[in-house]
Amino acid sequence: MGEIVLKDVEKSFGEISVLRDINLTINDGEFVVFVGPSGCGKSTLLRMITGLETVSGGQVVIDGEDITHTKPSSRGLAMVFQSYALFPHISVRDNIGFGLKIAGLPKAEIDAKVAQASGILGLDALLDRKPRELSGGQQQRVAIGRAIVREPAAFLFDEPLSNLDAALRVQMRIELIRLHERLATTMIYVTHDQVEAMTMADRIVVLEGGDIQQFDTPIALYDRPVNKFVAGFIGSPKMNFMEASPGPDGTVQIKGGPALKVPGVDLARITRRMTVGIRPEHICYAHDTGDLTGKILVEEQLGSDAFLYVEVEGIGMVTVRAVGERDFHSHQTVHLSLPPETCHVFDESDLRINEN
Amino acid sequence: MKSVRWQLIAAFAITFVFVAPILWMVLAAFKTINDIYAIPPVWVPDFTYLENFKLLLSENWQFLLNSTIVTLSATALCLAFALPCAFGLVYFQFGAKNFLADWILSTRMMPPIAAAVPLYMVFNGAGMLDTMPALVIAYAGFNLPFAVWVAMSFFRNIPKEIIEAARIEGCGWFQTFRLVALPLAKSGIATVATFVFIFAWNELLLALFLTTREAKTFPVVISSFSTVTKTYWELISAATIIQILPPVIFTILMQRHIVSGLTMGAVKN
Repeated sequence: MGEIVLKDVEKSFGEISVLRDINLTINDGEFVVFVGPSGCGKSTLLRMITGLETVSGGQVVIDGEDITHTKPSSRGLAMVFQSYALFPHISVRDNIGFGLKIAGLPKAEIDAKVAQASGILGLDALLDRKPRELSGGQQQRVAIGRAIVREPAAFLFDEPLSNLDAALRVQMRIELIRLHERLATTMIYVTHDQVEAMTMADRIVVLEGGDIQQFDTPIALYDRPVNKFVAGFIGSPKMNFMEASPGPDGTVQIKGGPALKVPGVDLARITRRMTVGIRPEHICYAHDTGDLTGKILVEEQLGSDAFLYVEVEGIGMVTVRAVGERDFHSHQTVHLSLPPETCHVFDESDLRINEN
Repeated sequence: MKSVRWQLIAAFAITFVFVAPILWMVLAAFKTINDIYAIPPVWVPDFTYLENFKLLLSENWQFLLNSTIVTLSATALCLAFALPCAFGLVYFQFGAKNFLADWILSTRMMPPIAAAVPLYMVFNGAGMLDTMPALVIAYAGFNLPFAVWVAMSFFRNIPKEIIEAARIEGCGWFQTFRLVALPLAKSGIATVATFVFIFAWNELLLALFLTTREAKTFPVVISSFSTVTKTYWELISAATIIQILPPVIFTILMQRHIVSGLTMGAVKN
């Protein structure tokens, strides 16, 4: 079991408040990712769940039990650190079995569990080595092994893949997803990498400036971001933003562009200054006609996609994702149009005001 | 080439200046008192002449034993207090933590002689004069500040995540200290132990004040060979050789631990 509830959790270091009004319910067995830019408080939040960081206000509840002031050793959680934090003076076998030994399990049982975990993670041949004799990826596996043998209420990961090279990171990401399916234990995963967040999470917590911006499924964050920050943070390349103002007949007038009749805009919430957002793959492009005219500054051709960076006069740089496109190149003129049903409208306090 | 040769000559000359007294002492230890004063000098003594050592050890072996007991006990006692103290100062969060650490260091600024008379009074009052426990307590106490500070720097070098990992794995503070921090600070502990050992083994001043007969340590014995009427150079030399051997052996044994690098590979940077 591993339902984790945070109630009005706060954290401040002296005068400086780093987290405010954090309310979260993480269901048993769920894979939740905390994502946000550096300094948003995501690691601090994770460390408060582990007990390594004290809680300034509010409650941390695991399976109905208030553990706000319980010491880390008694919380029954397991953590994988960015630096792996293996014990360098003992073998891989002893590293994996460390927590079980502390818990006083009989040796035969520890050996059986270590053997099982090392089998899952492919560490059988390395059990008698010291951590420093392993590669980064292997050390990472040992750290995961040390976490899974204890059958914790929840696994906590603090940017576990950021020290690995790109290829290994993709591989470990898939392994972690499969591990979660196999164990069905609650996992909380902190990262600043939105690709990791999107691919691994059941639900994502987007944090910024010490506040939860949105807590929802990856697709909901992508399709229905609650505000401009989430819209810009999730998705790569970033969503395009254009300044806008109220237009005639409930339309939204893009500055230097067309007036769009975006469906579902809450007319009562229209403000004097607004922002229209559209994702790069939703922009239509053509050689001959469109709402906007611009010049391709850079063409990034990946084969599967071409990213066109288009300079539009009066608007600025617009990114277009052209799937499988071969026919548009740098320095050419291109015409763009913005299908209104794919646009997002944000009011002057950056909240999204169209519903879909 | 030429400058390298001169550098070598200079190095040998300087080394000779420092080694000369020890060399003289080693030679004198195998001479009779008459040979020591002989003109022209007896350059190379008969190294099979061991009477000085025999005489010395037969009369003073119990003081050598005293020295050994006091030194080992003081080192052990000092570490037993310094290590947990340093661990707490590094990892626990509490008010006035830095003040406490500085205050511990400040006690080191006082010369031992300033404490000699007060210590004499205290141990006199406690009826502990001329006992080994008194020396053990005094030596351990004098080395605590130094030991705490050096141990703190070694505990600080352990990556924070390793300590945190131990706590999440279910270790209380004491287990974290014993199973993780101590093994990782092994080289630091060896360093501290070596310094405390050498201090306690060579200490003379407090031993002169606090002991008279029963608990006398070996340095006190050596000093007693220089009397108002006569200086027993042959005994002083033999005793000094015995005196310097344990620190030399201890340091050689500890040397490989003092070379650190144990935490390599624990944390990927």
